Amino acid sequence: MRPNPFEALGLPARPDLSDEQVRAAWRQIAAATHPDRPDGGDLARYTAASAAYAELRTPWGRSEAYADVMEADDGPVTAPLPVVPGERATPGEAVPPWQPLIALAQLPARIRRGRPRRLLLRAVIAAVLSLLVLRLIPGTAAAPADVFGLGLWFVLTGRKDLAPPPER
Amino acid sequence: MSAWSWLKFTLFLWLFRKTVKLSGWLLLAAVVIAAWPVTLVAAVGCLAAWLRGWPPVRLYRTAAWALPVTLAWLAALEVRASGWTAARGPGRAWVASWDHLAAADLARAFPLLAPAAVPAGLALAGTLWAWRIYAITAGLGGITASAPIIFDARQWKRQVRTAGGLTAAPGAVPLLARGRQIPVGGTIRAIGHRWHPVLTLPAGACARHMVVVGSTGSGKTNLMIRLWAGWFTATLQAARAGRGDRPLLVVLDCKGGRDARVKADRTRRLLYGAGARSVAIWPDEARLCLWDLPPDDLAVLLYQMIDTGTGAAAYYADVLQAVITLAVTAPGGPPLSTTAFLDRLTAKWLTGAWTDGRHPAQAERVRAAARHLPDIQLRYATLLGRLGPALDGPGTLAEADAWYCILEGTKERSVAEAQAMALTELAAHTATDLSGEPRAILLAADDYSAVSGRVPLSNLYERGRSLGIGVQVSAQSWQGLGATDDERYRIAATADGGVFVMRTPYPEPLARLAGMRRVLETAHKLIGNTWGDEGMTREQRAWNADPDLIRRLDVGQACYIHRGAATFVQVARPKPSPLTLMPPTAEPGPRGPGPRPEPEPPPPSWPSPPNLDDVFGPGGSR
Repeated sequence: MRPNPFEALGLPARPDLSDEQVRAAWRQIAAATHPDRPDGGDLARYTAASAAYAELRTPWGRSEAYADVMEADDGPVTAPLPVVPGERATPGEAVPPWQPLIALAQLPARIRRGRPRRLLLRAVIAAVLSLLVLRLIPGTAAAPADVFGLGLWFVLTGRKDLAPPPER
Repeated sequence: MSAWSWLKFTLFLWLFRKTVKLSGWLLLAAVVIAAWPVTLVAAVGCLAAWLRGWPPVRLYRTAAWALPVTLAWLAALEVRASGWTAARGPGRAWVASWDHLAAADLARAFPLLAPAAVPAGLALAGTLWAWRIYAITAGLGGITASAPIIFDARQWKRQVRTAGGLTAAPGAVPLLARGRQIPVGGTIRAIGHRWHPVLTLPAGACARHMVVVGSTGSGKTNLMIRLWAGWFTATLQAARAGRGDRPLLVVLDCKGGRDARVKADRTRRLLYGAGARSVAIWPDEARLCLWDLPPDDLAVLLYQMIDTGTGAAAYYADVLQAVITLAVTAPGGPPLSTTAFLDRLTAKWLTGAWTDGRHPAQAERVRAAARHLPDIQLRYATLLGRLGPALDGPGTLAEADAWYCILEGTKERSVAEAQAMALTELAAHTATDLSGEPRAILLAADDYSAVSGRVPLSNLYERGRSLGIGVQVSAQSWQGLGATDDERYRIAATADGGVFVMRTPYPEPLARLAGMRRVLETAHKLIGNTWGDEGMTREQRAWNADPDLIRRLDVGQACYIHRGAATFVQVARPKPSPLTLMPPTAEPGPRGPGPRPEPEPPPPSWPSPPNLDDVFGPGGSR
């Protein structure tokens, strides 16, 4: 796993750190761990801090490192996952008719890799409101329409909480 | 008329006016109460639009999306009581709702009417919100004179927040959307363009010409990588479906340094996620062969790679060109490596090659240029030595799906300039090579100004246009686009794929491309500290892409200028789908030296050339 350069310098993982803050953190660690110190320093920590400083010393480097740290929190993007249907296609080959079924099979993985908690919250809201509607106006024509509307709302707004399909 | 009569008449008129006005308000209040479900939805819609910074069109579209619910309701009513009685359903439900209202059972009344009230309320909210925006911006609404400015500033903040939220959603801004559209990020504000929550560009826009301008730290790299990955994904999918050629992305990172390596690595990971199978990083991991170029093109390129100067140096330049042409176009075929080329820059070799009785003119030229040959050989040995082995093959651009070429434009400008020329020429050769597989090529030059000393950006641009390859260029400022205002304007104005402007200190020339729009400006007469009831409205012109706004853009925010309109966007950091299978190991393209496919045929008779190590010392020639 890639080391977290912010941790190595004892800094919070933030993209808006200033050059001075990073330099000060580096100097502090370097002064305490340099191998030339009478007590021999701490070579491993000094090396890690040096590498981290090299990475974080520019604003661009910090934004990249921050983004990498954030991505790492979501889990590795290269983990083995279901077979990608489009990957086996050869030039000129039409989209197979079972593509919708494959897309459906990928749905659990897309939910898991997206924002499942938000999606769950949306689902709960839609379900509770649907139950409320069915309880308040049972047997009316508006009840199924309202439930349909809530379902539509869930589908339309929940799409962005799913991870994109493969190679998108 | 007596004074008393006049007073009574005036009082009557005043009362009449007030009564009419009050009646109007009462009538409106009655309608608002009578249609309370619609009123409720409209109020919520307006509040949401105000808080989220939505344009009115967002509410109209939501209303349109709610219409299927209304249709479902009418269908349900029709099923229950056939005979086209469904049309009376909303009226009946509304009348019935008053019974619920009387029983204080509002919660039951609203869902009964919601299928009709929601679209109607949202459409009404859109209209009211549009009127509010118009009234404030035209100066008709608001309490203080600064209301338009404060309203705009607040709305901008809310729009930025909304766009940022959308950009953070995992599925909102994928690398590629439906219809081969490349999503860029959440739309902050659209002026003149059609508003969509996510700004998307057709993949064809990248295949034309595009300009990106933004200072360091403005998020330019993220934007460019997103555009590359989007274009690559779209083109690859089209190729797989048999609707186009396989993509070939050539990126010239003209600044070099450590950041370039990080960018290259990130681009490679992203392209693998987008379906690429071979992404080469030049010169760190892969090589290209300059000597694959057709002889005529190779001769011109080698001549241009040397800085010949002007004035009296023109004589030397002509001699140089003549010698290079003789060396490259010799009857035995072009040189196949740096060593072979340098070996040819001797009087013995050239004489042996051209003195076959069939080329008397060339043999004469060799004799005339003989005394310059050692100098020319020395210059090329120095140049090619500085360029290193990265252009000495083996490897062609066509062998990989994408090439990330790192040029050390900051550290070694002259070398990077020569490399940029060579790589551009190789890309042009790949585009025009009829023997190879046709490829859809995008040539992207990041910070090209770092290497544009001898080959202006406009040349690269026009070259790309003539060869039918997409060219995407980036610069840190307007000045970085070219040496003169004329050249800069030519580049920016012909960017038919659009211009992205990020935070930059001098955006006016680029903002001018987005043009102006007509706005109404209302002036009020002030009475004390408050507005009086007199004033005037006049037509004014305002920037579509406000330069002051562009100067204040935050990291990752961009203004997309295209066809006289502008869209401000929060660019999303590009990430491949986590469901994509990555290749187990990187395939960085051709590596290291390898056997040449065809050995160079020796000229009929020539003495063996001296070992270059004898001339330059060990390892000095390359």
